[in-house]
Amino acid sequence: MQSTFHGLETARRAMMTQQSALHTTGHNIANANTPGYTRQRVNFTQTEPYPSIGLNAPRLPGHLGTGVAAGSIQRVRESFLDVQYRNENNKVGYWDARYNALEKMEDILNEPSEQGLSRQIDMLWTAFQDLSVDPEDSGARSVVRQRAVAVAETFTFLHSSLTTIQSDYQNEIEVTKDEANAILRQLENINAQIRETEPHGYVTNDLYDEQDRLLDQLSRIMNIKVEREKSGGNPNPAAEGAVTVLLVNDQGQPIENMKLVDAKGLEERKEFSISYDDNQMVNGFTLRLAAEPNTPVGTIELDSMPRGELKALIEAYGFVSNDGIVKGLYPDMLNNLDQLAYVFMSELNAVHSEGYTLASGNQAARQGVLLFDLGTTGPNGEGAASQVKVHADILASLNNIAAASGTDGVFAGDGSNARTLANVKDRILTFNGDNGTVSSFYQGIIGQMAVDTSEAMRMHSSNLALRESVDYRRSSVSNVSLDEEMTMLIQFQHAYNAAARNITMVDEMLDRIINGMGVVGR
Amino acid sequence: MRVTQMMLSQSSLRHINQGYDRLGKIQDQLASGKKITRASQDPVVAMKGMRYRSQVTEVEQFKRNLAEAYNWMDTTDSALDQGTQALARIRELATQAANDSYTPEERANMAKEVAQLREHLESIANSKNSNKYIFNGMNTTTAPVENGVVTTNAQPVEIELMKGVSVQVNVNPQNVFSNELFTDIQALEAALQNEAMTGNELTGFIDTMFGHINNFVAERAELGARVNRVQMMESRLMEQEVIAKRIMSNNEDAEMEQVIIDLMTQESVHRAALSAGARIIQPTLMDFLR
Repeated sequence: MQSTFHGLETARRAMMTQQSALHTTGHNIANANTPGYTRQRVNFTQTEPYPSIGLNAPRLPGHLGTGVAAGSIQRVRESFLDVQYRNENNKVGYWDARYNALEKMEDILNEPSEQGLSRQIDMLWTAFQDLSVDPEDSGARSVVRQRAVAVAETFTFLHSSLTTIQSDYQNEIEVTKDEANAILRQLENINAQIRETEPHGYVTNDLYDEQDRLLDQLSRIMNIKVEREKSGGNPNPAAEGAVTVLLVNDQGQPIENMKLVDAKGLEERKEFSISYDDNQMVNGFTLRLAAEPNTPVGTIELDSMPRGELKALIEAYGFVSNDGIVKGLYPDMLNNLDQLAYVFMSELNAVHSEGYTLASGNQAARQGVLLFDLGTTGPNGEGAASQVKVHADILASLNNIAAASGTDGVFAGDGSNARTLANVKDRILTFNGDNGTVSSFYQGIIGQMAVDTSEAMRMHSSNLALRESVDYRRSSVSNVSLDEEMTMLIQFQHAYNAAARNITMVDEMLDRIINGMGVVGR
Repeated sequence: MRVTQMMLSQSSLRHINQGYDRLGKIQDQLASGKKITRASQDPVVAMKGMRYRSQVTEVEQFKRNLAEAYNWMDTTDSALDQGTQALARIRELATQAANDSYTPEERANMAKEVAQLREHLESIANSKNSNKYIFNGMNTTTAPVENGVVTTNAQPVEIELMKGVSVQVNVNPQNVFSNELFTDIQALEAALQNEAMTGNELTGFIDTMFGHINNFVAERAELGARVNRVQMMESRLMEQEVIAKRIMSNNEDAEMEQVIIDLMTQESVHRAALSAGARIIQPTLMDFLR
């Protein structure tokens, strides 16, 4: 026998459930423009029908429905798109940082232009040519000196500008590492909250959104793989669980001992640390326990860093590779400039010291004067570009520029050594073991940099386009559509109103029974 | 596909940004007149550009050297011309004097003129071009003739006029203003002042002077031949300059017609993107619900 008040309960359940659906719709509308927000849906489930199964269950036509309940409130999200998004975001992070580093380098070298090093070397050549034509002329000598100063200053300027930017990168590496550590800490906290809440049957949608937002940020810095772990206890089927975050290599394989966050919370909180050698180059990248900084959990070989913004920054700044050599965009460029300055200036010095200076007043023409002072340059030219300057002898007197080669006696009108000096530009010299002229070596450096930059630019923009297309699809699934929410609003509101009408109907029914029945003939 | 308001506004913003980016690049091209403003925009153009710029600088420098070479050669040529004229006058005087009809007084007068001409030749030998002695080889700061003593330097002064090609711009002073020249003239002077000299004895000087004139003419001829060579090099340099500049321009200069058409196209695309952006706020369902 069914209850007299059955209809009332059914209608009440309907009103309650439609109401929670209306509230959820309101929440969606409120968060329509919140970044990282995923639209939510109430999962309607029918309540258990009457009568339930049993030996002494009443014999009635049935089942008779008992109404509706809000089974759970769930996010509408496709985790596969998250995986794709993070993969693309990771590449964007890497190429964006690399492109930025190369772009700054390109700005400093400023080639081809009327101000670059190439132009300065050409101008020194023209000055030598003019001197070879007019070796007696102190004007021509003074131009040679000024142009030589300009070449030396261009080298030191390029060197110091590049070094300044390089040291900024050290700062940026630290900031990015700290950002990653902060994300790891927040993920641990969210995991802990999820582990406490889910066993009670709640679905922590807003925590999942926060988790995904953090994972998106982390994926930009380094390549990660995310695994979800169901909570214990009595979780709702819609519950997603806490996350385990693994560091993966470029092939997507997890790297040994690089579990950044543990979903179960059994492991202690970890953080990254970066170490530097005596020259301040990166020489170690380790994961360690946050509570015990001296206990490393795992290390990563710098030559096979997982892709991401951090890798690009370390590559730009410079690191000690497996074979003990410092590699990196900026160290390589500085090295090349040192090599260029060292070889070119040494050759000019050699030619110059063969020639004879111009005799003046009390000073006879002499041999063996150097044109450039290379300072305390190492045996392979280390640090040449930062220290090179015009030799003090040349700065002391213009006559010390050795324009004469003095084959048969030294004469003022002999400009043949100036001609030889000019032609050093076209001599085949050995740079880093390769043969070539000064300009061909420098063109090679610039060409390499330009190719690297344009590759980084291309990769950056194509990965950006891919990320945007994945993001578009992800938005298509998870974003709030106001029209849709309005439709839902109408739908749920009508259902709510109808349920209320249903109560009125049951009320009238009861009114009939209570007040209108058994009054026949009264 | 489900499309939401947020997606529409995001992609519209992205398109407008892309439009600005492209407009910026085209405006860079227009303002600089160059295809590229950064090496990475086209590494090949950048690398070639550096080489072509060097080439243009070189050609321009060689043109400057060329002017200096002409300067040397023209000054030398006119000095030799004057020298030849002076020698011709001396030979004329020697020829006159060889005639026995002249009296010793008249010969002594001739000797005075020859002395003047000798001094004139000395000053020609000491002639300068932009403060350099042109008849003293590489030793350009010392006068070749001082107090009648000749100390010439025979080293050639060379100027590089093309990559690896140097041309001698002076003449060998020992072939023209030699010690012998001045001693011969002095001997003529002495002979003219010597009253015992017969016309016959003076005839020998005519041939000696002839010999010196021949030296001058020969040296001038050689110089002339070199000027011709330099002129040929000049026309080659001019051609090279045009070619080098054309190659440089072809490599890196933007094609203005193309750039302007690109600009117009991009502008209209950008306007379209902007007007599409203005339509993001479409009427929603709410406008139709009461």
